[in-house]
Amino acid sequence: MKAISCQGLTKHYGNVIGLDNLNLDIEEGTIFGFLGPNGAGKTTTLKMLTGLSRPTSGRAWVAGEEITLYSSSLKRKIGYLPEEPAFYNWMTGREYLVFVGELFRLSPGEIRTRCDELLEMVDLSQAASRRVGGYSRGMRQRLGIAQALMNKPKVLFLDEPSSALDPIGRLEILKTITRLKTQATTVFLSSHILADVERVCDVVGIIDEGRLIIESDIDDLREHFARSLFELEFEEDAFPFIKLLEGLPWVEKVVLEEEKDTSKFTVRASDMARGKRELPKLIAENGLTLRQYQLVMPTLEEVFIELLGKKED
Amino acid sequence: MTSFLILLKKELRYQLRTYRLLVVVAVFFIFGLGTPLLFHYMPEFMPESEITIQLPQFTTTDVVNEYIDTVSQIGMIASILVAMSAVAKERELGTAALTLSKPVGSGAFITAKLASLALVFAAGITVGALGCYLYTMVIYGDLNARDFFLANLVAGLYLLFCLAFTVMCSSFFKSQLAAGGLALVGLVCLAVTSGLPVMKDYSPGVLLVWSRDIASGGGSNHWGVLTVSLVLIALTLLAGWQVFKRKEL
Repeated sequence: MKAISCQGLTKHYGNVIGLDNLNLDIEEGTIFGFLGPNGAGKTTTLKMLTGLSRPTSGRAWVAGEEITLYSSSLKRKIGYLPEEPAFYNWMTGREYLVFVGELFRLSPGEIRTRCDELLEMVDLSQAASRRVGGYSRGMRQRLGIAQALMNKPKVLFLDEPSSALDPIGRLEILKTITRLKTQATTVFLSSHILADVERVCDVVGIIDEGRLIIESDIDDLREHFARSLFELEFEEDAFPFIKLLEGLPWVEKVVLEEEKDTSKFTVRASDMARGKRELPKLIAENGLTLRQYQLVMPTLEEVFIELLGKKED
Repeated sequence: MTSFLILLKKELRYQLRTYRLLVVVAVFFIFGLGTPLLFHYMPEFMPESEITIQLPQFTTTDVVNEYIDTVSQIGMIASILVAMSAVAKERELGTAALTLSKPVGSGAFITAKLASLALVFAAGITVGALGCYLYTMVIYGDLNARDFFLANLVAGLYLLFCLAFTVMCSSFFKSQLAAGGLALVGLVCLAVTSGLPVMKDYSPGVLLVWSRDIASGGGSNHWGVLTVSLVLIALTLLAGWQVFKRKEL
């Protein structure tokens, strides 16, 4: 079942296009990474999907509810953390969570239990009775994550959740997001920290200038953008094998890892599929002892830069 | 608890924690208490000079009229100052977006704001009226409690209109100053035009004339003004809500 579905979702701000014809389907239980440079349309998309902004055209459904401005039935099923969460500074952290629990019509007992759990989870138990006005940016971000989880949402929208956190805080948040997967929560994670997205997301969408450039399973994406490069390392001297490879039509170039060391080198293939098929067979036929055979996979960052770079060209 | 009551509870706590309730009550109390005292001690405040200034003998009617004027003028300014940030500030800071991402209607959000402000001002008028009544009784010994209560009720209705109008203006803008400016211009225009032939039968500003009439034991009734004022309060609330719910956060 689809947790999020967009059909031609478009948003214009006067003559400026915030989002252009977004078509997207996200399966339930997926952790979806929404990537894009600043001003690409990530926050615009999030605001429309959470019912805080009206699309200029197109339709979208979240957790089975068609999005409309301020729809209460939609809001019962979602959690939302904006990029810079703004709280009532005169409230304490616990008071804010109680207020949110009340808005979700949780019973006083449920609110108490949930507050304790969430404050513990985001490491704010000690600061729970302090006024939010005195919280650091990281603490506010953690409180923002706690309030977004108060109603155990079916779909959780996170806009740059780890941007204000220190490395340990980031790790904790990523662990929490990963844990949500076991509870069948769908997470829509907008972020510019590609390493975080790579670590937790199953599927990514890359957006630029309001248009979705690509939506793909993260492994498929890396495979698709894999550079045609094999890393090889043998127990013995492989000089004759290198000479053999250099004569093959699908081999573009062989580069030694270190000069004069012919046991470790990379093979750049002009035909990746043929290389994948023939290289293991050739190694076996030449009786070489393989220490390492690796198809070099790009990082998400490299894919991101390549995709946006191509667009620039 | 409905979302309105949850938000009202939050708003009242806000008024209390940020000392707005205390300040509003203190302002009304000072002016309520001060009016009879000012009239009583006015001759003593006059500087001694060779020219003799003949002051009239003040009566309770003078005191009450002055009190109603002060409550309406100070109340109007206080209502603009306190209510201009009600919605605009929440939109500006982003707190409205986070609250409204929860299952809360924009109508409950706006209504809770007005209701809390109305309660704060009701507390202020009550305390101010008590101060004025007690000192008037002590100094002049004669003030009809029922009439004075009704006069305050009618003056309070005028301030409720001022609050509703300012909350409506606050929902139009993200800037508190723009909201306050529009509310000030609107309410001043209304006050200035209240004496015009068509307006004098319907303008909420006439509530103050009625309030003074009641306090001085006059028998005039302004049911038309009362009806129009109640309808305008409902309409400004509705307009504020309709504009706010179309705004993107």
